[in-house]
Amino acid sequence: MAAVLANSLIIAWILYAHMGDRLVLFRLFGTLTVQFRPDPMGGVFAGLIAVLWPLATLYSLSYMEKDPRKTTFFAYYVMTYGVTAGIALAGNLVTLYFFYEMLTLVTFPLVLHPMTKAAARASRKYLYYSIGGAAFAFIGLIFVLNYSAAGNTEFVPGGILSPAAAAGSEGVLLLAYVLAFFGFGVKAALFPVHGWLPSAAVAPTPVTALLHAVAVVKSGAFAILRLTYYNYGTGFLKGTWAQWTVMAAALITIVFASTTAVREIHWKRRLAYSTVSNLSYILFGAAVMTPLGLAAALCHMVAHAFMKIASFFCAGAVMHQTGKTYVYELDGLGRKMPVTFGCLTVASLSLMGIPLFAGFISKWNLAQAGLQYAASFGDGGAGSVLPLAGVAVILYSALMTGIYMLTVLVRAYFPREAGAAAGRESAGGTEDGHPVTDPDWRMLVPLVIFAAVILALGLHSAPLMELLGRIGGEAA
Amino acid sequence: MTDTGTLIRLMLPVAVPIAAGIVFLTGKRLRTDRKASAAALLAALGLELALVLGACASGGAAVLWQLTDTLVLALRVDGVGRLFSLLTASVWLLVGLYSVSYMAHDQRSSQFFGWYLIVEGVLIGLDFSGNLVTMYVFYELMTLTSLPLVLHERTHEAVMAGLKYLFYSVAGAFLALFGIFFLAGTAGDLTFVPGGMSALESTLGSTLGSGAEGGLMRAAVFCMLIGFGAKAGMFPLHGWLPTAHPAAPSPASAVLSGVITKSGVLAVIRVIYFVVGPEMIRGTWVQQAWICLTLLTVFLGSMMAYKEPVLKKRLAYSTVSQVSYILFGLSLLEPTAFVGALSHIVFHSLIKNVLFLSAGAVILITGWKRVEEMRGLGSIMPAMLGCYTLVSLGLVGIPPFSGFVSKWYLASGALASGTGVWEAAGPAVLLVSALLTAGYLLPLAIQGFLPGAGSVREYQAADPDEGELAEAGQSWQCREPSAWMLVPAGIMTAATLAFGLFPGPLVRFLTEIAQAVL
Repeated sequence: MAAVLANSLIIAWILYAHMGDRLVLFRLFGTLTVQFRPDPMGGVFAGLIAVLWPLATLYSLSYMEKDPRKTTFFAYYVMTYGVTAGIALAGNLVTLYFFYEMLTLVTFPLVLHPMTKAAARASRKYLYYSIGGAAFAFIGLIFVLNYSAAGNTEFVPGGILSPAAAAGSEGVLLLAYVLAFFGFGVKAALFPVHGWLPSAAVAPTPVTALLHAVAVVKSGAFAILRLTYYNYGTGFLKGTWAQWTVMAAALITIVFASTTAVREIHWKRRLAYSTVSNLSYILFGAAVMTPLGLAAALCHMVAHAFMKIASFFCAGAVMHQTGKTYVYELDGLGRKMPVTFGCLTVASLSLMGIPLFAGFISKWNLAQAGLQYAASFGDGGAGSVLPLAGVAVILYSALMTGIYMLTVLVRAYFPREAGAAAGRESAGGTEDGHPVTDPDWRMLVPLVIFAAVILALGLHSAPLMELLGRIGGEAA
Repeated sequence: MTDTGTLIRLMLPVAVPIAAGIVFLTGKRLRTDRKASAAALLAALGLELALVLGACASGGAAVLWQLTDTLVLALRVDGVGRLFSLLTASVWLLVGLYSVSYMAHDQRSSQFFGWYLIVEGVLIGLDFSGNLVTMYVFYELMTLTSLPLVLHERTHEAVMAGLKYLFYSVAGAFLALFGIFFLAGTAGDLTFVPGGMSALESTLGSTLGSGAEGGLMRAAVFCMLIGFGAKAGMFPLHGWLPTAHPAAPSPASAVLSGVITKSGVLAVIRVIYFVVGPEMIRGTWVQQAWICLTLLTVFLGSMMAYKEPVLKKRLAYSTVSQVSYILFGLSLLEPTAFVGALSHIVFHSLIKNVLFLSAGAVILITGWKRVEEMRGLGSIMPAMLGCYTLVSLGLVGIPPFSGFVSKWYLASGALASGTGVWEAAGPAVLLVSALLTAGYLLPLAIQGFLPGAGSVREYQAADPDEGELAEAGQSWQCREPSAWMLVPAGIMTAATLAFGLFPGPLVRFLTEIAQAVL
């Protein structure tokens, strides 16, 4: 706990004092350096994890209390923090790639942690998918290095490709971009390479919540944003087949995942599918490749982090208190765990995109980005089809979100009369006969803070959007 | 730009019922003490009516909160807002009186009252919304807060109905949100201006006739019509209504059918007449399709109601049909029809409330739900059935009841609307539907009062088997519901008659609104 808090303070200090500074760790060879360079966009991601990590650690202190191997767990948990911070602060694509691979390796033991057969299978799947994805990302890295103006992979707003070098080989560069997009997309759970994420829901809840809803998946999305806006540059990609391909992939993912989530009855897996679809909201924002698109993508990155971690923590709290993992077992719990389900209500409504909550703001911005981009093609331009479809897809997904989140709430708050009588016996207590209550303060405090942040962001998003708008403005 | 006094005057009618509702949901004493809970409910409802009257009298506009630079939550009182808010607050008070008695034996009555009050606050917020975003906020909140009313019975049927209600409403709302996204992108400011936004006309004025931009805009408007139409039970998103309304306790069905469906209408009025402007869609495929859908809904709703044996379901189908009368009037984009539509909002609201209240009284006293069981009902509750009969005549549109007034305006508006084939087809459908309305409402009145030759028992398959009569071990005696239930129904019946006899002031008020927007 102390280590985590200290690290958060260090990140805060770095962001405050060293914005824009450059720290070269070592040179691999030539211009290929491993270096840190905090900039506003990295700052958003680093700040996000610096807020979430201590709270999540507090939660896991309570959640993992009875676990015999909790020391191992916390060791990897803290290491992951450092690695994710490395991704956020990386100054070029090589550094990012370096930490990206490390992230796979340090989170692998966390998925494996329950040491069950399912966990072993899930962690193996996770490993294969991630390493495979990184290999594709590596292709992109090589191309960026070879075609960049300065012969390095520095993150520069607007891209670093040298027009002279790129001339004539646009086709292969775009192909490399698409490959890298899908490569990084593995961690961002892009269809068809999302398969590892729902399986990884077997991991302990703090892992699924923080890593698989925030740190790991957002590292993928973050890497894609870096690659798109800071290496290739939107000028090069806009209007090409590569843009349409990745945009279509994001949209297909949204539709597929939100529909699957409705059919999934295992609560945490349902939330995992919801993550898959929401991650592709971010990728859709990235694929729009306009200033507002980037701002909206980052906004959803922040908003979704809070919403999804809160939802997962609620699911975890229920599992911890009652041992229930399926949606149909939740009848009547709403009144027994009022604080938990109160927070879940806030998170669900926000995920749906009901106004007054954070999710609405990011959804609004995403839709505006899509519509503006569509409008930029003028009357009846063929290019406007996908962005417009994107807006429709986001709304369809919002409806699906309403279905898969609110059925949980309706069950919890309004148990069926007949079912309630039967359910009261089973839901009346845990196995050892204690009545079901809210978990202890270490789990509740993070939840309440997350719910408060969701509301605050929904009601007063101006400062955040201003910052993100500035990032978008200079990068695209 | 906002002075605090106005802000508070406009905020209070929204905040007070919500706060009172939360007290009901959390307070322990109100859960056990029935008298205190009834007194508190009526006090809150009475206070609310006074607050709404105060806000309507003072008027004004106020900015509530700045969500982002472009998204502003603002409240404003205008003519349409006054009409809807006064109607809501009065109906809520009357149905509140009724529900005190109706819910007397319900274990969870304080929860019901709590949500009942919260919905009222949200509805007033919807009526006072100053721009499209604010309205959307309250619209979503209305769906979520009225859901517990549908779920109240907690039976499997009620939960399923509630979910259906939720999904249809949310689907509709998101369909509408697509349009809002689009309008915000094109026009920016979504403040309600009578007659639509000039900004919108200047940006799109050149492309009104042709071009993809105008085409997309019209598609977006159509999405909003369908989406908000879901709440108003317009085909094709009407499916939830006949399931959800009967599943709720009768007072809730009454306000769901009588008032909450009208919020869909309100949203449509705001979009067409206060944001995009009627000129935007006049004569386009959007108007044609809209008229067509409303007439289809009017006819289908009546047909379904005619075939439906369960009284509350029949009334719900009737709502589907009648609310589309209103939408039909709006779709014509013609001042007379507009007046007809707005007056039908008031009249249908009063009438449908009385109908549902009497259906509730029948269930409470006798346990009967199907129409054919109710033969001879007039000998049990003559006064309640009397109210039912009178308002039924009103809904059919027989003078001197108010339904006649609104239908007269609707039909003459249609004839003057210059919409081609609909000029004649519209009134024809309305007449057929009126006939069907008589067909599905009046048999109960006729068989209730005149069960035919022979004793009542010959026609009656079974004695009342549940409800208060059966509990008291009595059957076939005159047993009216309590005064708590009769008086509100009586007042609304009297209002129906009064509006039919003296429609002048209301029509003048509505004509003013119509002149401002058209």
